[in-house]
Amino acid sequence: MSIYLPIAELSVNIILLLSIGGVVGFLSGMFGLGGGFLMTPILIFMGIPTNVAVATSANQIVASSISGTIGYWRQGLVDFKMGGVLLIGSFFGSILGVWIFSRLVVLGQIDTVISILYFALLTSIGLIMLIESSQVIRDRVRRKTVKRKIHYHNWTHKLPFKMKFYKSKLYISAIPPVIIGFVIGILSATMGIGGTFILIPAMIYFLRMPTSKVIGTSLFQIIFVTALVTLLHATTTFAVDAVLAFFLIIASVIGAQLGVLAANKLRGEEIRALLAIIVLGVATKIALDLLVEPNEIFNISVIRSLF
Amino acid sequence: MNFKIFLLTKLFVLFLISSASALVIGSDEEEIYIDANFSGKNLLVFGAFYSDPSQARDDKSDILIEVVGPSEDVVIRKKESFFGFWLNSKSVGFNDVPGFYYLSSTNEITNEFLNENNIGLLNKKDTQLIDWSALNIDWGNVKNQKEKDTFYAALIRTKESEDVYRKVNGEIQIIDGNLFRSYIEIPNTVPVGQYKVNLYLIIDNKISNEYSYNFMVTRVGIEEAIYSFSKNYPLIYGLISLLIAIIIGLSGAEVFKRFRKI
Repeated sequence: MSIYLPIAELSVNIILLLSIGGVVGFLSGMFGLGGGFLMTPILIFMGIPTNVAVATSANQIVASSISGTIGYWRQGLVDFKMGGVLLIGSFFGSILGVWIFSRLVVLGQIDTVISILYFALLTSIGLIMLIESSQVIRDRVRRKTVKRKIHYHNWTHKLPFKMKFYKSKLYISAIPPVIIGFVIGILSATMGIGGTFILIPAMIYFLRMPTSKVIGTSLFQIIFVTALVTLLHATTTFAVDAVLAFFLIIASVIGAQLGVLAANKLRGEEIRALLAIIVLGVATKIALDLLVEPNEIFNISVIRSLF
Repeated sequence: MNFKIFLLTKLFVLFLISSASALVIGSDEEEIYIDANFSGKNLLVFGAFYSDPSQARDDKSDILIEVVGPSEDVVIRKKESFFGFWLNSKSVGFNDVPGFYYLSSTNEITNEFLNENNIGLLNKKDTQLIDWSALNIDWGNVKNQKEKDTFYAALIRTKESEDVYRKVNGEIQIIDGNLFRSYIEIPNTVPVGQYKVNLYLIIDNKISNEYSYNFMVTRVGIEEAIYSFSKNYPLIYGLISLLIAIIIGLSGAEVFKRFRKI
């Protein structure tokens, strides 16, 4: 059974679409990741145009991050003030990102740039996850626990515009979170990702936020970044496919719930290592598409139907 | 319904209307609707060589059917290898090219004939015969003729691979010497808009008569409604897409909460 996607302008199998949404949702629920970094390339592999894949992924992440935020908010693990400061940066970042995106569409380089960005992103995520999970597995075998420094000062503490973040027990300059938000905004708009896997380490290592508050706060700000990105894409690149988004959202929300349940029952590291391998596999496929000489070196795009 | 009776009745009506014409044609469609389940359609074009039914077709007479879809502007981009990466480099803009083109004849018709009579887009085998000035092309930084030819060939090739450009021979059936019919495959990838069907009666390599008519291809259904809504009211469309995401996201969290309580 297939369905016609009105914006992507092609028919896809509904079962395949739901499976992809479900699997990506499952992985994101299990690891607390947004899943956009897997969703967008998989949609592109399916033949969905790059711009539609990016814009629609952003729309899908709105739903999954709302679902996630509520869970953390109920447990009091969202720092709304920090989220708000991050959002100031993200607001401008996503506007710049959508502008860059539409320029690249006009220049005909969007596919290549997205591929290269995704290759870099997935390779780094995959390798980091693989190294991290193998270390944990090794440490577990050796019965070793790693101790981390609780608090220390770095250069970011010398910056002006200091603000108090009670929830995170921080007194830091507003500049680093705004810059982090700005970068996330650009990435979100150009790649159709929430950016959790960049945001979370940045918040932990640069802002020194307590780890417990990081995931909820990042999910909270991702709702608004991806919502803004969705609106900007809908109005400038016209690439948001509501039908595609609908099926992906349904499947990914259900998948995410099952993922959270599974995460409580399964050992994390082995699955994390497996996910790392999947991510590296996707990265390899992207690299091959860039490096192997294509069968048809010419490609066509319809600029304007004159009817 | 018996096709022959149907055809003859329709032809008789057409005969009354256009008795002066030697070439009489008809078609079964004036409008083609494409919806989500549209998997292509065979458009029927039929007619008679001569309005006098007793006059039979001889070997010297041929029928040429040309279907031209609505114009569009396309860009052909060429990938080149930069440090091992295959990136889009040079591009050529072809303006006002048909989004659909079909050429069918009873016998092989030469490119020279097509060029002399200014018919045919698909004569790529002989690019020297193409009247480039008649085409609205933005060559960009593509300068030499050989490279221009490769871009033109790529345009035809990609359109052919999408099944929207076709050139065929011998698909026109001839019935009782004087009648002909042909089913033209309209794939679901065709652009919407006005299509023109041109029919030529060729006798002794000369166009003896021609006849044209139009039909429309329209997209219908919920998918079309969504598509045009997204173009006409992008902000509202974006907000609705968001609203759907918010509602499903919230209800997902709600269901999840109950899940955990069990």
